[in-house]
Order: sequence, then structure tokens, then C-alpha cells
Amino acid sequence: MTGWRQFMAILRKDLIRELRTREMIISMILFVLLAMVIFHYAFGVKEDVDLTYFTGGMLWVTFIFAMLLGLNRSFAQEKDERCLDGLLLCPVDRVTIFFAKTAGNLIFLLIIQVVAVPVFTLFFVHRGYGSDIVLFVVVLLLADVGICALGTLLATISMNTRSRDLLLPIIFLPLIVPLLIAATAATTTIFATGASFGVLGTRLLFLLGFDAVFMVAAYGTYDFAIGE
Amino acid sequence: MKKLVSAPALFAAAGVLLVTGLLLAFLYSPMDASTMGYSQKIFYYHAPIAETALLAFGISFVAAILYLRSQNDKWDRLGVVSIRLGLVFSILVMATGMIWGKAAWGTWWDWEPRLTTFLLVCFLYTAYFVLRSVVEEEQRRATFAAVFAIIAFIDVPITFFATRFLPAGMHPTVITTGGTGMPGSMFMSFFISMIGMTLLLVALIRRDLGIEELRDRVADLKHSIGG
Repeated sequence: MTGWRQFMAILRKDLIRELRTREMIISMILFVLLAMVIFHYAFGVKEDVDLTYFTGGMLWVTFIFAMLLGLNRSFAQEKDERCLDGLLLCPVDRVTIFFAKTAGNLIFLLIIQVVAVPVFTLFFVHRGYGSDIVLFVVVLLLADVGICALGTLLATISMNTRSRDLLLPIIFLPLIVPLLIAATAATTTIFATGASFGVLGTRLLFLLGFDAVFMVAAYGTYDFAIGE
Repeated sequence: MKKLVSAPALFAAAGVLLVTGLLLAFLYSPMDASTMGYSQKIFYYHAPIAETALLAFGISFVAAILYLRSQNDKWDRLGVVSIRLGLVFSILVMATGMIWGKAAWGTWWDWEPRLTTFLLVCFLYTAYFVLRSVVEEEQRRATFAAVFAIIAFIDVPITFFATRFLPAGMHPTVITTGGTGMPGSMFMSFFISMIGMTLLLVALIRRDLGIEELRDRVADLKHSIGG
């Protein structure tokens, strides 16, 4: 079986498993909506306060925490049902497993973003950004790839340890901060003032560089992270 | 290297250089032209400590790669030791930076790129030890730690770059690609302190490596007698 077919097989397995139970997606979406309500009460301290400037930050904080939920869940299932052992016994390159898992997590993250972005926009952004929608989607995709690549690598490590879901946020959050800064800065500019590819050039390049660097790093270390 | 220079000699050399650097900073280097006055003298320790911290993390990065290639425990020990010392030096960077900030700008903390980077670096490398503490099997612990050390070190310059997206802070930029921006009399004190601090790091790594080796041997001996 070629690498591409192996990749698709693992990805399909993850998607089918999730579609059957829907427990991960439903809890992630609920988490995002709850976070929105909590942010409203945490920041809406005055009646006429404009939260447009904070929405970028709120969105990315929410996505990252939702992703933590999802990552823990996706690997806990693999481990508990010993599905991962079966996967490792297959004649599949470990790196293919990494890319398939990353792609699966990316799809889940995109699904929750399709729900979250319109809701957050409706409630918090007091300015239309329709003309920047392509730019916004580019920022989303670039940041998502970084979150999922790094998240998948670290979740693989953390599921092999004693404290599993406790460990993941501690190793994931400090590493993801640079991406959070760039994504928040870009999103806030889009929401608050509007932007162009030229204005956000450095940030987009930064996000692209982040994705590339950690993809390569994960490619080089995943064999060790997933264990025997 | 073990035979070349003894550990006490390294400590002594580091001590002499650091004291000399400090004396030169106060007696020889000119007062800073800006409003910082004497508080600027902390620069002669603050910047060398920062560079030494980064050097320690750099060593851990190389050690991690070597461990993954060879699975030799000595590289794991070097990784642990250099990250622990890098962490101590990073905390010192923040402490001296905060003291300087309070004296020069009247505030203990400013979210400027370099201080923020070191704060994140502290979290990052603390996480390294949390990771180590939750893996029981030795080889697996060393492997995971090495993977994390590689990723963490890659993240340091990325973090520094990202913090530039934040509103600008007050930290002076001394060393740029265009040169050091320091007159010779300042640079000498700075350079001597830097060499002293680097030697101190090497001496501490040597000492800690010895301790770690002994610890491993004790563990092995205990294991061999069924303890």
C-alpha cells in the first residue's frame, strides 16, 4: 500500500470513529459556545463596551483549549482500546501516522471553527469584515496547521506518560504561545481595522514558517515520540 | 576535558573573571550617558547571564540530538544538567531584568520582547522537568525528554520573534547586526563578565554531570542488590 493510501486509510478510520460516536465534536462545540458566554460575562463589564478588539484573542484562546480537549480525547481512545498497538503493528511508516492524525485533528478543528467564528462574530464584532474574509480564512488555516501539527506530536508523547491529559497543556501551551501571538495579532487587525495581504505579510509569513519548522521537527522526531 | 582542567580551577577562573568584570564595570567603564546612571551597571551581569542561559539551552539541544542518535545515557545526563542550569540562569535574567527595570523605568515588569521570551522559556523548560517526572521507564523518559528539548529549543527564537508583534517595550537594543553599540571601555567589562559567566556555566555543568553520574550508579547498585 502506498503512503498516500495508508494516510487516507488512517484518516478515514479516525473520521468514521468520530462520526459514529460524535462525542469529541459535540463536546468541543459545546465547549466553544460555553467559552463565548463566559467571555461575554468576563469582559462585558459595561453595557456599551466594544469587544471587537478582544475577539481575536478570545477566539484563539478558545480554539487552543478546545483543541486540548480534542487531542486528549482522540489519543485516549487509541490508547484505551489498544488501537494504537494495532496501528503500530501494521507495516505503516510512523510519519504517515503523524500526518494522518494531524489531518484528522485539523478537520475537527475546522468543524468547530465553522460553528464558532460566525457566533463569535455575531456577538462580539461590531464591524463587518466581509471584504477580508479570504485573508481571515488564510490566517485560520495557517494557524490551524501549526496547532494541529504541534498538538499531535505532543499528544503522542503525553498519552505515553503516567499523567496523560494533565501533562498535555503544560507542554503544549508554552510552545504554542508564539503562534497564538501572531494569529491573535492578525485576527485582531482584520476584525478591528481591516487589513490586506500586504499589511499582514510578516504575520502570515511567520505562521507559514511556524508550520514548516514544526512539521519538519515532528517529521524528524515522531518515530521517537510514538515509541515502540 | 576532564583531565585538562580541574573543576575547582574552572570555578576559580570564573570567580576571578566575574569579580574583575564587576570591578571594571564600576571603576573603569564610563557612566551611562542616558538617565540610567548607576543602575546601568547591572547590564554587565544581566546580558552575560542571558547569553549563558541561551548557551545552556543550546547545549541541551545538541545533547538531545546526540541522545536520539546514540541512545547513550551520558547525553541524557548532559541534557538534564544543562537545562536545569539554563533554567536557573533564566530566572536570574528575569530577576536582574526586573531590578534594572524598576531602577531605570520605575516598573518591575514590562511586557517587552526579551523579558517576555525569558518568561516563556522558564515555563517551557519547567515543563521539561514535569514531562520527565511522569515517565517511569528510563529509556522512554530520556527519549521523550530529548524530543521535547529539541522542540523547545527551536521554539525559543520563534517566541522571541513573535513577541515583536506585541506593542514595543522599553528594552534598549545594545547588540545589533551593525555592531555592539558600546564604546571599547564598556565592551571590555562586558566581555570579561561574559567569559566569566560562560566559564561558570561550564564548571557547573562539569560538577552536576559528576553528581548525576553518581546518582545513576547508586540507582544501579541499589537495583543490583534488589533494593
